[in-house]
Amino acid sequence: MVKFVRQLQFQLFLLPILAIYSLFTIYPLIKSFFLSFTNFDGYTKIYDFVGLKNYARIFVDDAITSAITYTIFFTFGKAILVTILAIPLALILDQKFLTRNIQRAIFFFPTIPSGLLLAYIWGFILAPIGSGILNTVLREVFNMGPQPWLSDPLLAKLSTIVVATWAVTGWHAVLYLAFLQSIPKDYYEAASIDGANRLQQIRFITIPLLAPAMTVSVMLLLTGGLKVFEIPFALTKGGPGYETYSITQVIVQRGISETQYGLASAMSFVFFLIVLTIAIFQVTVMQRRERDLQ
Amino acid sequence: MKKSSFLLLITVLCLSVVLAACSNNSGNSNSNSSNKSNSENTSNESSLSNAAKEDNEAKPVKLSILAWNNEKEMKPVIDGFTEKYPHITFDFQFAPPVTDYIAKLQTMLLSDTAPDIFIIAAENRNEIIDGGYALDLTDEPFMKVMLDSNKPMLSKDGRTYAFTQTGWAGGLFYNKELFQQAGITQLPETWDEFIEACLKLKEAGIIPLYDRMHDITIIHSAMFGSNVLSKDPTFDEKLFKGETTFAEGWTEVLTMWKEGLIDNKILTPDMIGLTSDQVLNEFSLGNVAMFPGGPWNIPTIEQTNPDLQFEIMPIPGKEPGNKYYNGAPGVGFAINSKTKNKDEAMLFLEYMTTHEGLKQFEEGTGGIITVHGYDSTVHPAYEPAYRDGLIAGKIYLPMVSWDRHQEALRNQFLVSIQDIAVNKITPEEATASLDNKLKEMENK
Repeated sequence: MVKFVRQLQFQLFLLPILAIYSLFTIYPLIKSFFLSFTNFDGYTKIYDFVGLKNYARIFVDDAITSAITYTIFFTFGKAILVTILAIPLALILDQKFLTRNIQRAIFFFPTIPSGLLLAYIWGFILAPIGSGILNTVLREVFNMGPQPWLSDPLLAKLSTIVVATWAVTGWHAVLYLAFLQSIPKDYYEAASIDGANRLQQIRFITIPLLAPAMTVSVMLLLTGGLKVFEIPFALTKGGPGYETYSITQVIVQRGISETQYGLASAMSFVFFLIVLTIAIFQVTVMQRRERDLQ
Repeated sequence: MKKSSFLLLITVLCLSVVLAACSNNSGNSNSNSSNKSNSENTSNESSLSNAAKEDNEAKPVKLSILAWNNEKEMKPVIDGFTEKYPHITFDFQFAPPVTDYIAKLQTMLLSDTAPDIFIIAAENRNEIIDGGYALDLTDEPFMKVMLDSNKPMLSKDGRTYAFTQTGWAGGLFYNKELFQQAGITQLPETWDEFIEACLKLKEAGIIPLYDRMHDITIIHSAMFGSNVLSKDPTFDEKLFKGETTFAEGWTEVLTMWKEGLIDNKILTPDMIGLTSDQVLNEFSLGNVAMFPGGPWNIPTIEQTNPDLQFEIMPIPGKEPGNKYYNGAPGVGFAINSKTKNKDEAMLFLEYMTTHEGLKQFEEGTGGIITVHGYDSTVHPAYEPAYRDGLIAGKIYLPMVSWDRHQEALRNQFLVSIQDIAVNKITPEEATASLDNKLKEMENK
């Protein structure tokens, strides 16, 4: 009983955040689930129940099928690229060298400004005309003609992935760096006494012990990637055609621009389930991998 | 320890209650400042309205407005108004058009926090009028200055819900020197001549035209005007009654556009990635001969390159004599049907219809005033669009002319033209997708 009362007083501190979380996350989620069965248009407060009609419409919508393909391509592309780049970057930033702190700051910096701002700046770099910055460099150095970085279906997809990767790699490197620094130095000493070279140390000590960091990092990359909006939106507005439409952009387009809140709510709910499934699956698999590695 | 943590919790809770209570009334707290001059403004506006006289004795009022133009642009007209009615002050809010504005206003309307005065645009007119959010202004005396041709966009069933004092027309800006260099001495009278002119420019090593293809473009709207509307002005009406289809009206236009501009590589898919600033900059620097734009682009062009010789031209149709611009009435000022300051809001709209109000609005926003009895001075480069487009009524904008589902159709349209530009679909497939979209939206 005493223990319960003591616990209760700490629980009380959670009340404000619980209230905020319920108000801004749980309530909208329940409300949009409810609205997904209606023909609510976002303006009039009078609407009818339409049953599962909205759900039936999702899978015949060209935009959403194209958006799901692109979003998954973007998410996995970005997650793989970031993971491949962030671990070596963390290893480098963990070394002792003169400009270490300033380098850490530089790599971390792109995560600070909003994605929208970064994407607009990249818009100038990737401008498809001859006077675009990247195209100018390619012409001067390699004598190449202008490339349609943002208007060719495949190049546009790749460009958005590259920009997104550039923006978050530093952040994930810092995450790995924190885990790196918690690996006891004794292991490396023991390994070097046993005759392991640097590569073998990375392969058999660093990578396995970084597994928990990888679980967190990949989960954040996957859930963040699936929710992507601003970078493709600012770079290509979803174009050409539906090629770089993200799922969230379709939801905003259908809900706000076209005032089909019911349909957009149904899309959001299905989207929520997709993200939930992928996240649960990923965490389970990677936690099992952590156990296996250790 | 236990005691102190409870104390802390109680303090935090109390503080938050106090703060929450404060925030409710903050909107009204600072309107007293304008009280001082109540007695000073008795003199000169007897002609305007009786409400004005009553208000001299009335309490200070704070009118809220969600403007489409930013504060700097609206300042002259607001200053002019508050000078006349010193007891009225403004709670000025701004949201950038179009999407942000529409979304913000929509949220405000739904949560009953909408301002006294807001804007009705082509993109939200159906929802605002059908939802009963705006007051019916049809019988207000000041509405008589509004041009009849400006009314349909802001009306439903013959009742008008907003006042607009402006109109706009967009066309193709062309660089006179580059046209001369390419040996083009006369502006094209037909679509074929236009394509010929583009090819001549290309031969001379000049990029003829930049178009971002990010919307139902100015070229498409004007082409539809010069080829379809010139023959059948009621096409869109029939379209939404189900008597005709997109395929019947738009296939020819899109085919002409594709064969003329895409197949000849005058427009290339890489232009889809351009930003509007880049296009404007390239034109100002003389790197491209033409670009689709409107009066809003002129100040930037002149700022970037004061020596540039340029002018606006219409899009010619297949047959000579049918030249159209893209354009529509400007957005309209509406009054919230739930406003508590109806008289003051009316007073503001009335002020905007006076010669002084129109002049202030013209000065601040640079908009083109299209109102009975007011001569707007337009930039010489814009004269053709004003004369042959706006005044002659040779303007077309689908978003205004389409009766329903504008946003869904607009999105389908822009996706389709981008797909045509990258050779993914044919014009026939594009119009079929528009017809399907319309059917889907009608049955939703």
